[in-house]
Amino acid sequence: MTFLGIIIIVSEPQGKILPFAFYGLVVLTLILLSRIPLLFILKRFLILSPFILMAALFFPLSLWLSKEEQIVDLQHPAFKVALSIFLKAGLSVLLLILLISTDKFHNLLLGLRKLKMPKLIGVIAALMYRYVFILSDEALKTKLARESRTAGKLKVNKMKVFSNQMAMIFLRSWERSKIIYHSMLSRGFNGEFPVMQKLALNRVDIMFFVCFLTAFLAIRLLIMPVT
Amino acid sequence: MSVAIHIKNLNYSYEPEKPVLQNISLDINPGEKFGIIGPMGSGKSTLLLHINGILMGEGTVKIGNTVIEKKSLADIRRKVGLVFQNPDDQLFNPTVEEDVAFGPLNFGFRSEEVAERVKYALEAMNLTGFEESLSHHLSMGERKRVALATVLALKPEVIALDEPFSSLDPPMMMQLLDLINDFEATLVIVSQSLLPLVTCCDRVALINKGKIIAVGPVKEIIKDDDLMKSNGLDLSFYKKTFKEFF
Repeated sequence: MTFLGIIIIVSEPQGKILPFAFYGLVVLTLILLSRIPLLFILKRFLILSPFILMAALFFPLSLWLSKEEQIVDLQHPAFKVALSIFLKAGLSVLLLILLISTDKFHNLLLGLRKLKMPKLIGVIAALMYRYVFILSDEALKTKLARESRTAGKLKVNKMKVFSNQMAMIFLRSWERSKIIYHSMLSRGFNGEFPVMQKLALNRVDIMFFVCFLTAFLAIRLLIMPVT
Repeated sequence: MSVAIHIKNLNYSYEPEKPVLQNISLDINPGEKFGIIGPMGSGKSTLLLHINGILMGEGTVKIGNTVIEKKSLADIRRKVGLVFQNPDDQLFNPTVEEDVAFGPLNFGFRSEEVAERVKYALEAMNLTGFEESLSHHLSMGERKRVALATVLALKPEVIALDEPFSSLDPPMMMQLLDLINDFEATLVIVSQSLLPLVTCCDRVALINKGKIIAVGPVKEIIKDDDLMKSNGLDLSFYKKTFKEFF
């Protein structure tokens, strides 16, 4: 449903602003139904907001830089486009935050696999999620090792120390990946990640899907028809 | 009587001209608990990787009557469970249940059989209730037990353990020893920790510089001070400390 919601929102014609208020209401209803604290969602949204803002401002900025058009005030159509891009991306990000906050990561992978995501991407995503914590531990260890031998500011070339640290983490990761691959082979790995769990839609899931898809489609087709 | 593991004239090197294993010959009996000891870098872990067919050097390695070669690898890996030193290298799935089910699923067991094997392995390792736990949230002792469960689920004929006692505190080590002593499969343990080996192994092989120096009952080998000292395993410090404090 999240992906369909995103497709409907993103495919809204450029320059229209009002439909996003209705989409926003639907997203807000979903957030309230999820019982996830608004502050939690807001914090995550704020982390991603610079990227959304960058994407939105890209269009007016490129016009201004290419000097094709004079952009003198905020009434310029380029800003209207930028606002609609911001709203589209913002609402999509909110839906994605909601999705990853309400479901376990491995269930998301199972769901994506059901949606015909390539197996290799699934394997990479699962391993990345599993080992990101170990890599951050390795990074922390090298940081502690550096700090334990420095008092206050570094007197040597900071960039050199930092790049050495990065190289060390990369080498350790490389060594570790070889062992992990051996461990996978030793248990019969043949390029596929078979799963035990089978996802199935129940009646509540279907009702939820139908209700919200209807709401999104109603905004798109009935309330704010595309002209 | 047939042997569980038969190794004949095994040679292996990671780089040319730098042999890691030299002319290794060894027989391990069915149901035996066999230790491999030696100083750091002596080739112990490399030898262990040959038992599961991860590495294939020159010479012959047989598990039961099956020679390890490319065409027999699937069969070998079902027969030999390999547990790595660091459980983080062994546990690569998001949940404990998925990790334990990984082997049986790969070998094409039906889902009911997989569920039964997962239940059996988790029960054997006292991990019932951990099915949905995330591996990286578990303690080292728990992760070690999950790593063992991942191979137990395959109900292997041989279990090969690489440094199972490292990074464990004494209660966890005792718990692991109890579990190991209950295993019915043939067990091959590579360990730097000699004390736990004394309590769980029947025989050991002492390896140094890629060569087998001695094979025999664990207590006989470990009590031989000259043999141990000349092969980089001087235990006099431990003996002296134990005498002083206990």
